[in-house]
Amino acid sequence: MSTTAPDLVGIGRDDATRACLVALAGLEGIGPATLLACATGEGAVAVWTALVAGRAASVEALARRADRRDGLDLDRLARAARGVDPTEVLARNRADGRRVLVPGDDAYPDRLSSDPAPPAVLFAQGALGALERPTVAVVGTRTASRLGRDLARDLGATLAAHGVGVVSGLASGIDAAAHVGALGPTDPDPAAQPTGRGEHWAAPIGVVASGLDIAYPVGNRLLQRRVGEAGLLVSETPAGHRPSRWRFPARNRIIAALADAVVVVESRSAGGSMLTAAEALERGVPVLAVPGHPTSPVAAGANDLIFDGATPVRSADDVLMAIGVDAAQAPIPGLEGAGRAAAGRVDRPSALLGDPVAQAILEHLDGGPATLGELANRCAASLDEVALALARLEGEGLIATSGGWFERRLPSGAGSRGAGGDRR
Amino acid sequence: MLASISSAIVQGVDGIAVTVEVHVGDGLPGLTIVGLPDAACREARDRVRAAVLAAGATWPPKRITINLAPSGTRKVGSGLDLAMAVGVLVASGDVEADAAAGIAFLGELGLDGTVRHIPGIVPLVDAVAAVRVGVPVRCAPDAAMVEGPDVIGLATLTEVRKALKKEEPWPDHPVPTRLVAPRPAPDLADVRGQPVARKALEVAAAGGHHLLLVGPPGAGKTMLARRLPGLLPDLEAADAMAATRVHSAAGIDLGGGLVRRPPFRAPHHTATTVALVGGGTASMRPGEISLAHGGVLFLDEMGEFPPTVLDALRQPLEQGEIALSRARFSVRLPARLLLVAAMNPCPCGEAGRPGRCRCTEAALARYRRRLSGPLLDRFDLRVDVDRPDADALLGAEVGESSAAVAERVRAVRALAIDRGVRSNAELHGDALERHASLDRAATDLLRAALATGRLSARGLARVRRVGRTLADLDGHDGPLGVEHLATALALRADLVPVSGLAS
Repeated sequence: MSTTAPDLVGIGRDDATRACLVALAGLEGIGPATLLACATGEGAVAVWTALVAGRAASVEALARRADRRDGLDLDRLARAARGVDPTEVLARNRADGRRVLVPGDDAYPDRLSSDPAPPAVLFAQGALGALERPTVAVVGTRTASRLGRDLARDLGATLAAHGVGVVSGLASGIDAAAHVGALGPTDPDPAAQPTGRGEHWAAPIGVVASGLDIAYPVGNRLLQRRVGEAGLLVSETPAGHRPSRWRFPARNRIIAALADAVVVVESRSAGGSMLTAAEALERGVPVLAVPGHPTSPVAAGANDLIFDGATPVRSADDVLMAIGVDAAQAPIPGLEGAGRAAAGRVDRPSALLGDPVAQAILEHLDGGPATLGELANRCAASLDEVALALARLEGEGLIATSGGWFERRLPSGAGSRGAGGDRR
Repeated sequence: MLASISSAIVQGVDGIAVTVEVHVGDGLPGLTIVGLPDAACREARDRVRAAVLAAGATWPPKRITINLAPSGTRKVGSGLDLAMAVGVLVASGDVEADAAAGIAFLGELGLDGTVRHIPGIVPLVDAVAAVRVGVPVRCAPDAAMVEGPDVIGLATLTEVRKALKKEEPWPDHPVPTRLVAPRPAPDLADVRGQPVARKALEVAAAGGHHLLLVGPPGAGKTMLARRLPGLLPDLEAADAMAATRVHSAAGIDLGGGLVRRPPFRAPHHTATTVALVGGGTASMRPGEISLAHGGVLFLDEMGEFPPTVLDALRQPLEQGEIALSRARFSVRLPARLLLVAAMNPCPCGEAGRPGRCRCTEAALARYRRRLSGPLLDRFDLRVDVDRPDADALLGAEVGESSAAVAERVRAVRALAIDRGVRSNAELHGDALERHASLDRAATDLLRAALATGRLSARGLARVRRVGRTLADLDGHDGPLGVEHLATALALRADLVPVSGLAS
């Protein structure tokens, strides 16, 4: 496909076309490129009719797809298609306030219409206006460190407070943490409306690989619902579909397309976030990365990006500067410290300065997570002393423990503690 | 003619006295055994006949009926063979009618008249009503441990017949010496490094706290667990006898000594519920849980045990014994033990190291679901075992020996007995309040831990018990201080990584 925007006028905007597009999008084996080729070529209705009639090979895009090495079985596709009623599928995708958008619609995001690989059909739920503000994608690994998750959370909060919409994929780890931060301080009661957020606060944007009515992973169901309520959820997967493997990289291209900049907080050197960064580079979207310790495997990807020329993120200010937002303005009282916290430049409470064991523990944990046994071996102190220091550090919120591992953490900033609705 | 010979059978860990009545009368020649014999017991017919012939006697060409009284209890196994053969000899008039009076017989017969050993000799000898008891030679040392009847070791039916006929005295076989000397328990001094696991073992032994070791393969979890029995004091007389009976009933050769050292049992994770709990046949053979009575039950790879098997552990852990009920009877098996379990923190082997472990959420959830919460809750101590440091492995520094640690353990156990419990792990309710009160700083520490969700209400009592043991080990009495509670908290790690949101 050429890198210039394809001619999108050919896609019809009537319900019949939409219904057939949605039905095609739900078939296993038809990816975004094939769908777009069908829509701009023969047209969705003609393709669907041919497919159901068993003449799929006459459709150029499908024939081309079938000829590929991982060829598509057109007979199987036809059988699957015969079990689908496009009208019903369209209705289902319009239930519960969900919208079905095709290029050319007024509501279809401008950021996507000019994209080299726009979704031929986009499902959206929530406020599409969220995309009119500046946006930054905050992405990273699912198996993030505690510090990484804290950082993503604070970065999300700071960006949102500066009116920058946080785009992310609603995966576990960094993605979820960024959105927890971007949702802002909330009441402990998840049903209550977010409080303490000003007019200026930017709504979060979630781009999911599943249908909008499905949360993947299931643990993020509550978070996904809240992002949908407070901001915008988009997907190119029809409702009711769990994400197939190929949908994740496809989703990542939408994240890159919707953002003014992409920040990789933590990523392995071959993680999905690296794909997001690559998609961003193709689109000329600036890529930023949070540098990490060289020994940490979850920092390897971000460090690689910096080596290749990505802007290092020292604090949220660097991100704001990259998209031209004035970092000095801190529109919401009490959030001035958030940027500083995100940089990790936190003074250690003086109460612990005099405790050499606590200092040794913190220094050791700066190099990565450790178990009690490792700390006891390294800190040249008795088990009792180490245990006592750990209990104090945990009480101060400087470290966290999970599964027997101790990790550094950022002292809870921006009051977003407890915002993790689905903490298990 | 009629003969009546004393013998016994095993049920669970107890013997039941059985009278073997033999009637030799007129009628079609043949042998019938009545009184609920099982298959092995009914087959005695052929063994007894061959053995009697091998012993040089003639088989009476008469109608022989053998009744096993009490006839309502099912008789299992071959331990009644010898008594039946003696009964036939007496009833057929081969030996004098009163020759076997006051002597009980236990043992299986070979076709050549050999007297073979049988399991459960200790409870059997304990149960028989006789002044003397004839047992297989190999069982004689174990039988001699039981107070009461004089023990005669028997090798063949021939010598039994000769003694009964008073042609020869009762045989006096040399007591077979134990072939293998008991291996000394492995010593804690072999363990290099591992300060946390060492401490946990000491606390587990001193306070009777169940211990969960979490660590990657090769970290030395099994090695550590094997060293726990060496830290425990000798069994008290009653426990030693109970353990001895269990081992005997399970057919384990005791080599003529009471089980004085705490046993160590490590069933494989393919063990069935019956193998662990006991029962199965009508003899209700004790399972691994009972065999670990007074000692350590080690479950390696706990996550691999079927959930039903693990759930069967809960009642014995609570009550110190297992009540097994079947349609005809029920037995009680002793089961007071220290449970030590080992598991991998996650399926990928990266020990759940944040940022390094690559297990998917689903894989972790599956792994977690295998372990039932109520069972995990029984572990007062949950510690991580890391692969040892190269420095520690190569270093010349040798850790404390088991003997030195066992000395402290003994002292702490004595303190617990003064408090009216066997060990600190049994402190409950009032006793816990009285003996494990907290000072101000300790209260603050626990309040903070509760507030952050690091500690649950149920965990609180367990942390206090462990804190009591830690303080006892340091020779500190009075209210618990912050240093002991912080260590108790640190020795109770979360089980598996809780990944999720940044909260």
